[in-house]
Amino acid sequence: MTTSAQTIVAPARAKTAADTATVRRKQGFQHGGWFVAPFLTLFALFVIWPLLRGVYLSFTDANISGDSANFVGLDNYREALKDPLMWETLGHSAYFTLLVVPCIAVLAFFLAMLAHHIERGKWLWRLCFFAPFLLPSTVAANLWQWLFNPGTGMINHVFGLDTPWLADKSYAMLAVVICTLWWTVGFSFLLYLAALQGIPDHLYEAAKLDGANAWHRMVHITLPMLRNITGLVIALQILASLQVFDQAVVMMDFTPGPEESTRTIVQYTLEEGFTSYRVGYASAISIIFFVIVASVAVARMWLLRKREEGVR
Amino acid sequence: MTATQIRVRAPKARKPWTPSQIVLTLLGAAVSAVFMAPLAWALFTSLKSETEAVAVPTHWLPKDWTVQAWKAIFETGNITNWFVNSVVVSVCVTAVVLLVSALAGYGFARTEFRGKNALMGLVMAGLMVSPAVLGVPLFTTVQQMGMVDTYWGMILPQCAPAAMVYILYKFFQGIPRELEEAAFIDGAGRWRVFFTIVLPLSRPSLAAVGIFTFIASWNNFLWPYMVTNNPDLMTMPNGIATVMNSYGIQWAQLMAGGLMAGLPLIIVFVFFQRQIVAGVAHTGLAGQ
Amino acid sequence: MGRPGLNRRQLLAGLGGLSVASSFGFAALGTGTDALASDANTRVRYWNLFSGGDGYNMIAMLNSFRKDHPDIAVKDSTLQWGSPFYTKLAMAAAGNRAPDLGVMHMGRVTGFSPGRLLDAWDVDLLAEYGVRKQDFNPQLWNRGIIDGKLYAVPLDSHVQLCFYRKDVLKKAGLLGDNGRMVPVTSTDEWFDVLKEAKKATKKGLQTIGIWNSDQNFQWWFFVAFYTQLGGTWFNDTDTEVTFDTDKATQVLQFLRRHITDGYANPTFGGPASAEQFVNGSPFVWEGNWSVPVYDTAKIDYGATPLPPVFGKPATHAESHAFVLPHQSDRGGPANEGAHQLAAYIIRHAQQWALGGHIPAYRPVLSTDAYKKLTPQNEYVSAMDHQATEPKVWFAGSTGILAQRVGPIVVSSTMGSAKPDSAARRMKSELTRLLASKNPMDGKTAAQGGAVA
Repeated sequence: MTTSAQTIVAPARAKTAADTATVRRKQGFQHGGWFVAPFLTLFALFVIWPLLRGVYLSFTDANISGDSANFVGLDNYREALKDPLMWETLGHSAYFTLLVVPCIAVLAFFLAMLAHHIERGKWLWRLCFFAPFLLPSTVAANLWQWLFNPGTGMINHVFGLDTPWLADKSYAMLAVVICTLWWTVGFSFLLYLAALQGIPDHLYEAAKLDGANAWHRMVHITLPMLRNITGLVIALQILASLQVFDQAVVMMDFTPGPEESTRTIVQYTLEEGFTSYRVGYASAISIIFFVIVASVAVARMWLLRKREEGVR
Repeated sequence: MTATQIRVRAPKARKPWTPSQIVLTLLGAAVSAVFMAPLAWALFTSLKSETEAVAVPTHWLPKDWTVQAWKAIFETGNITNWFVNSVVVSVCVTAVVLLVSALAGYGFARTEFRGKNALMGLVMAGLMVSPAVLGVPLFTTVQQMGMVDTYWGMILPQCAPAAMVYILYKFFQGIPRELEEAAFIDGAGRWRVFFTIVLPLSRPSLAAVGIFTFIASWNNFLWPYMVTNNPDLMTMPNGIATVMNSYGIQWAQLMAGGLMAGLPLIIVFVFFQRQIVAGVAHTGLAGQ
Repeated sequence: MGRPGLNRRQLLAGLGGLSVASSFGFAALGTGTDALASDANTRVRYWNLFSGGDGYNMIAMLNSFRKDHPDIAVKDSTLQWGSPFYTKLAMAAAGNRAPDLGVMHMGRVTGFSPGRLLDAWDVDLLAEYGVRKQDFNPQLWNRGIIDGKLYAVPLDSHVQLCFYRKDVLKKAGLLGDNGRMVPVTSTDEWFDVLKEAKKATKKGLQTIGIWNSDQNFQWWFFVAFYTQLGGTWFNDTDTEVTFDTDKATQVLQFLRRHITDGYANPTFGGPASAEQFVNGSPFVWEGNWSVPVYDTAKIDYGATPLPPVFGKPATHAESHAFVLPHQSDRGGPANEGAHQLAAYIIRHAQQWALGGHIPAYRPVLSTDAYKKLTPQNEYVSAMDHQATEPKVWFAGSTGILAQRVGPIVVSSTMGSAKPDSAARRMKSELTRLLASKNPMDGKTAAQGGAVA
């Protein structure tokens, strides 16, 4: 701490005054508990407590009415691990993530490059690419439900198709993915754009002097400089995509989609809790899902740390 | 953090139209058209009559322009209620989040208290908890508190975002200590220092957090969907998705309602583009 | 004036402060905007699931109630039909924020934990407002009685119908002398009809809409045809599955054939079925609630119960019923208002019949006004041949049974599963469900569940 070092070298004749100052300086940073208290209260009530409660409920047969529940040990977990629907719905969420994440990364990068390199009307490109992100998820979903509507929808009309987008299990998730891309790519686009503008110009100028063409500049300067941001975009998208719910349910009118092909793990959890009223079982699935999400986040932190160490 | 400033270049002398610029601009225009087409389609649909909306073959522009769908949603639906609810919830969430996360961010960055590191670790762990992951236990918690179907039930659970605390924590760490120390020596109290010195310095970060929180809260569907049963209390995204007004799925009205939910933010975006872009980029990049 | 920048900033800050303050004020009130505007003595909050034409009729009935009873303010709210409605109703009841009056499907009542999520009706009070048991089909009325108490009062019965376009069928020579579709008594006859109709259908339209990708409709159609074959689900004590996979296979093959023979286009397997019908497709299978939709579209159409292709006529039927969602302090004027309102709507169901539903209150059925309604008078016989789901806690409209078994029917109809293997999967799913416990009381169907 710098304060302690300064105390030692403080001139003797100003001792008392300096002491007061030091004390004040130190005290200023002491006992900060009150600063964090309001947040921690909310945090404890609405994050920590539900988490603990979820763990507790997962060992019971609690139902939605809130009446007292019986302890059932590991039964819920045993059932969940054998529940084909849980694995199926986890699979749907994973499949969705697998489709969305790379597409978002590539598309966002492409859009950012476009917006970065076009010299005129920058605000317009930014507005166009980013605006969908400002819509509520349900509005985006309703909009694409309408676009995908067979017969009267624009997609089939414009492309001369006759595709049962929302009625066939081989297309349904794809339709949700397309809606999601349109809706959320703006966020990653902005991250890329910010990162692009953070690349110092002199790197490019030096490369130009060395005779590197545009392609080389992109491969050897832009892409390496964007490595961090790509990692960030991918991590954020994986976490968000695993938790997909809104678009899928709204596009499918709150059904699990054709032949249950778009029921995600979040949807399944809510169905078990709120439609089948099995709060205990739903909590067990939630905890399993929480472990999965948390391990993705932990894996990312671990990767980041390892890379930092590698850099050093 | 430096990357968060998206530079808006001062309008210099116009650059010439080089061939590559022409190609890029055309490409940009084409892609933009694709991005805007769904919104245009929604707008045109909302200006058709319900029968024309589902008429075959599909066509872009209404043959008979009518605002009947817009009139209908105001006359028959709850949409004005939902709009007010959305405003109330988003404003309250934003205000509370700004206050508590600024305090907490400062507390973690600049003050000492027992168990600080452990608590900070806990907050970081909280980043992984969301209503999507732990919706059912969160609901039963709120149910126990008797807050199902109240504004507070919608608002408070959105008010503990670990991410925002973390962002402001990082920011406060970057403020030079000397500024505060000088004030302490002058005898200023901790709270005064916080409100008169630290907060004014952090305006851009606070704006970023506030903007991001407002967007997220305005557009939030899952939690309001879980916690409100009473259609009078629903927010726009929730109301539009779950309560069809009493006349069934009517595409023209659905599109009008959707635009009404989406347009306010888009219009605000047009005017405050720089701040919003910086805000979103800033909060997103904080994850680095 | 001299420093507009500052003034503007002050103005913005002031506006911001004001909006924050008023938002918190609102939140503190906590009851929503409508709480600010109510001056009637009694306020009845009423949740229903009626959209489309039903919504229109319900509102008309509510309005006439409001006119007759200006002292009672009715605050009606419509929620999207399906799981969200039941979820929200259950959650509201569990959270003790339930409305005074609600609507449910009769089949869901047994599994909806009567006594915990539902309060019992005051039969005397209902009688005071003119609703008595003797005015109803006793079987229908008894479906609402659990443990000797009345939990649901039926408003109607609604059935699955075969809608047909008279203009197209006339061209195809499929209209009888009475202007109605020729009767069909076997699958062969049915597919002959489709074949003829297809010839008369405009290009680009399917011959029949069977909602092939919709798990609810497919399940209802399955129940109807399976009942036509005399199929059963469980034994009387709900201890054994008596589901007949051979009969089920037969039904699944029948449904599938609509697609393989090219009469139903999988592309239009959802709500587009109805859009196709409006645009000129000759047939669609749909609930009777589509009657007002097609009335509004001004097309020349008729509607019969689902064709008795397996001999014995039967079509899937359900009932809308009024319920009292649980309130810990139920009673007082709001509760009385709920009784009054429900009784009023049940007794004035003529308007309701316009929505295609068959009123449960029998005096309405015998009025001339009702007898003149078309196509209602064409399918009123469906009431005598109801195919319903088994009476177990997991049954009922969009209940667990439909949610688990419906998709299997869809997978067969869409061709991703063979009918016989789908039938076997249905049976094993039924077995699993029969052994599963009702989360509300921890009992299986055999142990009584909530039915006892």
